Amino acid sequence: MKLSAIKPVSRVIVRELAVTMLLLLGVSVVVFVILYLAPGDPLNVLLEGQSPRPDLVLGMREALGVPKTWYGQYAAWFGKMLQGNFGNSIRTGLPVLPELARVGVNTLTLTLGSLVLTLLIAAPIAVHAAAQGDTAGNTAATLVAYIFSAVPVFWFGYIVVYVFIHQFGLFPLISGTATKQAHAWLYFLVPIFVLGVASGTLSEMIRHLREELSRVLAEDYIRTARAKGAPVWRHAFKEGFLIPVTEIMSAKVPFLLGGAVIVEQVFNWPGMGRMAWQAAQDRDFPVIMGIALVAAAFVRLGNLLQRVVFTAVNPRASKE
Amino acid sequence: MKQILNITILGLGAAMALCLPAHAAPKADGRPDGGTLNYSEYGRPATLDPITSNESISLRITELVFNGLVGIDEKQEIVPELAERWEASKDGRVFTFTLRKDVKWHPREGEAPRPFTADDVVFTYNIMTHPKTITPLKVRYEFIEKIEKTGDYTVVCTLKRPILNALAKFSFKIIPKHGPANSQYLTREDPFTRSPIGTGPYMIKTVTGDGEVVLVANPDYFKGRAHIDKFIAKPFADQNIMAQALMFNAVDMIVLVNPRNLPEVQGDKRFVLQPYNALSYSFFGYNMRNPLLADRRVRGAIAVAVNRQEMLDSFFNGQGTVISGPFAPGSWAYNLDVKPLPFNPEQARTLLSEAGFKPGADGIMEKGGQKLVLSLKVPIEKESEAVKRVVLAFQNYLKSVGIAITVEFKEWQAWKEDVFLEHNFDIVFASWVFDDSADISSLFHSAEIGDWKNNFGGYSNPEVDGLIVESKLTLDHEKRRTINRKLHTILAEEQPYAFLWTLTNYSAYHKKVRRVQIHPYKFFSFADEWFIPANEQK
Amino acid sequence: MRRYVQTPGPIGEYSGLPLWQRAAPLDLIYVGYGLMVVAVVAASYLLGAFGWLPDDSQAMNVGLINAAPFTTGHLLGTDFLGRDLQARLILGIQAYFLPGLLAITISVLGGSVLGVMAGYLGGGFETIITYFDNLVDSFPRLVLILLVIAAFKPDIYYVMVVVGITGMPVIANLIAGKIAFLRQKSFIEAAHALGLPAHTVILKHILWFNCRALLVIQATLGMAEAILVETSLSYLGFGVQEPTPSWGNMVQAGANYFLQGNFWPSTAPALAILATILGFQLLGDGLNNVLEGKRRR
Repeated sequence: MKLSAIKPVSRVIVRELAVTMLLLLGVSVVVFVILYLAPGDPLNVLLEGQSPRPDLVLGMREALGVPKTWYGQYAAWFGKMLQGNFGNSIRTGLPVLPELARVGVNTLTLTLGSLVLTLLIAAPIAVHAAAQGDTAGNTAATLVAYIFSAVPVFWFGYIVVYVFIHQFGLFPLISGTATKQAHAWLYFLVPIFVLGVASGTLSEMIRHLREELSRVLAEDYIRTARAKGAPVWRHAFKEGFLIPVTEIMSAKVPFLLGGAVIVEQVFNWPGMGRMAWQAAQDRDFPVIMGIALVAAAFVRLGNLLQRVVFTAVNPRASKE
Repeated sequence: MKQILNITILGLGAAMALCLPAHAAPKADGRPDGGTLNYSEYGRPATLDPITSNESISLRITELVFNGLVGIDEKQEIVPELAERWEASKDGRVFTFTLRKDVKWHPREGEAPRPFTADDVVFTYNIMTHPKTITPLKVRYEFIEKIEKTGDYTVVCTLKRPILNALAKFSFKIIPKHGPANSQYLTREDPFTRSPIGTGPYMIKTVTGDGEVVLVANPDYFKGRAHIDKFIAKPFADQNIMAQALMFNAVDMIVLVNPRNLPEVQGDKRFVLQPYNALSYSFFGYNMRNPLLADRRVRGAIAVAVNRQEMLDSFFNGQGTVISGPFAPGSWAYNLDVKPLPFNPEQARTLLSEAGFKPGADGIMEKGGQKLVLSLKVPIEKESEAVKRVVLAFQNYLKSVGIAITVEFKEWQAWKEDVFLEHNFDIVFASWVFDDSADISSLFHSAEIGDWKNNFGGYSNPEVDGLIVESKLTLDHEKRRTINRKLHTILAEEQPYAFLWTLTNYSAYHKKVRRVQIHPYKFFSFADEWFIPANEQK
Repeated sequence: MRRYVQTPGPIGEYSGLPLWQRAAPLDLIYVGYGLMVVAVVAASYLLGAFGWLPDDSQAMNVGLINAAPFTTGHLLGTDFLGRDLQARLILGIQAYFLPGLLAITISVLGGSVLGVMAGYLGGGFETIITYFDNLVDSFPRLVLILLVIAAFKPDIYYVMVVVGITGMPVIANLIAGKIAFLRQKSFIEAAHALGLPAHTVILKHILWFNCRALLVIQATLGMAEAILVETSLSYLGFGVQEPTPSWGNMVQAGANYFLQGNFWPSTAPALAILATILGFQLLGDGLNNVLEGKRRR
């Protein structure tokens, strides 16, 4: 990073963090409103297997200290949240924050891993196509990538499971096992592979990278540099590759978090997506809130990184 | 299949048996100790203690970790467990239990094991009934007036009124006084609910965040150390993957095999498929508030229009029994003289025309301009293939006799509200699981009509009410049986439900596990006797 | 704030040549395949709407469950209830057609309004809309959908409303970007100088002349999205509910037999999804290249 870029970058970080705070507040309000408008009582999950008799429900509310009004509930939650207490799951009774930290790391591994894989596949195809124009090779590669992006991800997951267990006798499932497994790294890589290849991100990444790189390569200054015989790639790299890559990656984080919900179910991956699915069904208010906020924070983090890269490459542009 | 509610308590023959306590030691039965049993569960348990938990996954684990005052043996008879003997007063209201003196609680990390005493029993009862404790047990133990300690190893329990088979109800699990952090009441936030200690054959060693539970044999178990060293419960999020996990030796046992996987497991010599009869049955329940369904002839027509045997054969590999009435066939109350109604679409049409219905232009029956269209509400589950098959086949059968069914799938909680609170449905598909096969009072008694009550269909019949009350009050087993047989006959006639079938549950396990006995719904009650031959322990 | 947007192509490149002569052959193939898919989808929709099906899609034959293709009377075999797969595949598109259109309408209309407000009016609006966009983008969409479904009811239209709303920011950004670009080229100022009223400039000159290609492309991609979202939800049990067939719930139902080695019941609808989505995506891409002059040679 050039020295001149440090000041704009720090300014961007400060501004992004402020925006993030506002956004997280908005996210919490939206989730709260949806849950509040939903019919039914989330606490009923505790009385599963019996009739939620009014007296029992009352005792339960008292035991859990649930305020009666909706704004009271939100204020109570918000107050605790400011002190770093996201409450306890209604279903499991576990404090939400440590639980989120535990599964959040797994989901982060899964999504980041798959993003990197997607990039590793997409970048060569896109760069080749941008530099060489359409050739039979890169057209075929692009088409294959498009096909993978159009496959239902859980069905692809089943194919991979089938192939692995029948061809290689390996059982690709990862769960929070206490015991050491053989080939543990494989159990770990297979879900990343599935999400990375079949999440639907691949085609978009190729398209975006290719377009941006083509555009930059066609800019006047690059043409000039080329004409003079100067090495073009250093010029083109930042504008035509680095920035689009961070853009698309940060834009696809929320999408991948959604895909993770599916892949985590198929591969028994102990992540946030599975937790979200369970919590949504139980209407487990504190957990849902926590997941929404952590997910939004992931998304914002991606955004922040993208902004930082953009500003670092282009210090003047940040003033716009 | 999600079952709608568990009703009441175990009520099996109350035989008085006395056996002498064996001393904590290896079991002297010549069978080898050692080995690990990995079993798979669909889903993760929320809590592991016997008080706050309300799912079958937790129930199975508490069965390994805890004991009750009395237990049930493999012949379904009541045997001493934490109580070595007991006396009942003449009026049947007071029970005095003498406790074993050789029982120790599982030790906590770095602590010496503490002895089990009468205080723990009183503590368990108090914490269970505390208003702030959220537990499904509370309603079940309302018949107890108080439990008191009269000595370190004696407790006296007084009932509000004498009830039949009272003794069997003392099989509830006892938790230690030094267990929960809060000594007044128990919520799911208490650490005890996640790493409980008990007196049972297995101790919880580790629980991973993702719900894998590792249990190790308790060396001091008062019935002798269990044979298998370790039980590991592995959580799965996808039943198809779970079945493959068994086929490829990632687990050794599935507690409940999905019917669609039966053929695959059946054909494999490595595995044993063991049936166990749950006291449960499935049914289509009608809403009597709908005048169309209040007509008995319409209900009767539906009953004979549906080919239950064909559904059972096609969707469940024939693993079950078609039933005729409101009791589970495994129960003593079931009346075998009442035969299930045969499939007869002709008779269905006759019944409908008797009720005044005529086929309309579109083939749907109608009466006075009103079409015979009924809504069927079904809860959504991720793993609901069997449910889907049954309700769609039901729709198809009825279409051919001119009854239109609109199937509506609803999210679980919303479904419960529609059925139990709003009563906004015509027909539901559900199943009951009983732990007392004979008590159907909450299902059909008219006093049970109301918000969140079990008679959701609003069925009301004074004769049935009378028989139900009579059956509850009598303490004579034979007399009660006669009453229940009569109830069965009437309800089979009246068809407040279309009674479908009881399914046979199958557990599948690797054949290296020997001497496997399974309790119908607690599952692991006899797991301390299971063993794995030394050469197959790996 | 710059985000992931498709960069507007140069507007000056419209030559007098007709589209198919300007376009690269590959793009024409893409568009051709895409249009073919659209035609097949539309035809299937009509077949379903008029009930011209090879077999009753609801008739069960419990004695013939998961039959293989070319079984007598069932060209493509049967599903887990012995229903005809071919009829259900044709009917399956119904599940997406109207809901998908709803999602597209919401995202196109909402996105256009937001985009115009942000780009044309600018100022405070831009800040508010940027906030809104970021807020919507901060939710993982599937999690938001799950939440809405669990809270209300598993209705495909509810799902599609969420899909539509979450699709708005992308379109809003594209349009705002386009407007910024037009401003840069003094296009809008020129229009104003000519005395054209604001609504004419916005509707005709901005949206119609300059954004229609982009909107068509986004709508095409939106349909693909709708199918993929429903498929994912079906796996979780919250997609289109039986007895209505959708490709997603067919893949899910068939997948229960996949690991036992019975591939067909899930592969047939999965291939339908694959071919269709590929068609929509290639159509979108091809149109983008042709209309916006993206492909350079």
